[in-house]
Amino acid sequence: MVWKKTDDTQSEPAPIPQRPLTAATSEPLRRTDRPPATVGPSIFIKGDLSGEEDLVIEGRVEGKVDLKQHNVTIGKNGRVRADVFGRTVIVEGEVDGNLFAQEQAILRQSGAVRGNITAPRVMLEDGSRFRGSIDMESKETPKPAAAVPATASPSPTSPPSPPSPPSPSSPTSPGSPASPAIGPAAAGPPPPAANTEVGAAVAASRSS
Amino acid sequence: MSWLSSRGSRNARAGGGRRQQEAATPGGPELHRSLALASLLEAMGKQSKLQVLDLGPAVGGNVEFLARFGCKLYIEDLYGALAAHGPRPAGEPDRDLRGEPASRRSSGNGLPHSREWADSALADRLFAELLPFPPETRFDAVLAWDLFNYMERREVSALARHLTRFCRPGALLFALISILKQIPAQPIRFRILDSERLAYEPRTTASRPCPRYAPAELDNWLRGFRLDRSFLMRHGIQEYLFVREQD
Repeated sequence: MVWKKTDDTQSEPAPIPQRPLTAATSEPLRRTDRPPATVGPSIFIKGDLSGEEDLVIEGRVEGKVDLKQHNVTIGKNGRVRADVFGRTVIVEGEVDGNLFAQEQAILRQSGAVRGNITAPRVMLEDGSRFRGSIDMESKETPKPAAAVPATASPSPTSPPSPPSPPSPSSPTSPGSPASPAIGPAAAGPPPPAANTEVGAAVAASRSS
Repeated sequence: MSWLSSRGSRNARAGGGRRQQEAATPGGPELHRSLALASLLEAMGKQSKLQVLDLGPAVGGNVEFLARFGCKLYIEDLYGALAAHGPRPAGEPDRDLRGEPASRRSSGNGLPHSREWADSALADRLFAELLPFPPETRFDAVLAWDLFNYMERREVSALARHLTRFCRPGALLFALISILKQIPAQPIRFRILDSERLAYEPRTTASRPCPRYAPAELDNWLRGFRLDRSFLMRHGIQEYLFVREQD
């Protein structure tokens, strides 16, 4: 009996364990192994476009592209006049509309976007064209260290002065609603004389 | 590139400017310290939920850098927008932002070009058209870079009027004005390297005369803003921070 049992297990047909495996991995397989659907260069779609797989647009789309869980690529030939929703949105062609990416929006060198981008991460490659706003709704937005030079020595002949802390007289007060949003309104050192030699950094301000 | 290089070499001969012009790579961008940028970023670092307007072209490094502030960034490439507004031969000295001589200027939408604007309302219309922000928009900082070098007086004034409507009191305007005789025929592309260094990346080797606006002129034209501080740098750039005045 024992040997038969082992025999049974050895002769276990393969499809049994494969069945749940297929179901469990169907989603990743769809995203990684399956080639993305493509809207070909000669295709013109007017209306909403949605689905459950990655998409490459090489044609024209007007309306709305809604693939929130999947990657959307607007290829070099792609011309989209639509809001585009995707997990990652990559633009190599032209988009006139807003981009909403759950993970990342990438504007390639050949890409052009006129619209607003909302994504945790946005990458604009050099040469890409973009007009609009970028809202990186980051969960954590670490502030850079405030220790950056604010004023410089007005010495006309000395080399650039090392960074110095901001003037304590600066009225900027983050907690005060009445204070300016940003920017010290305090006057810096007096302006240099008109014949001052160009210095490393001449701080000037208008007395108002 | 040449105008920067020649200036840099003069500085080098004079034994100065080494700290501002760092690690200039042949054929590559030139690196310069920017004290006004440092001041701007310091002020930005004290705030949250900033709205920043970049009037220059989209530069990936700047987006990445400014993302640290958690700000909403508007990129408008105003020079490009104005160029697209009309034909633009590059490098003409006596031409306006779109590069058109006064005699041949026209626009498809009935708007006259800037230097013919007798009525400032028309100039206001142009910027309202090119920079159509939602009425509730309130910027905390504006990066004008060297754009004013390529604008005529009335254009600067009209732009300032437009921006004033969308900047909250205390907002800062960052501008780089050349004091050199010649500037590149198109605005330079500036890349923020860190909190006090900029890479200058000229987009053309052609040059044009520089208007060399004086601080008092700019202060007068930028109504609604007042000069907060300026830094005259060795490489021929005067850096400005203007602050939006209270209403």
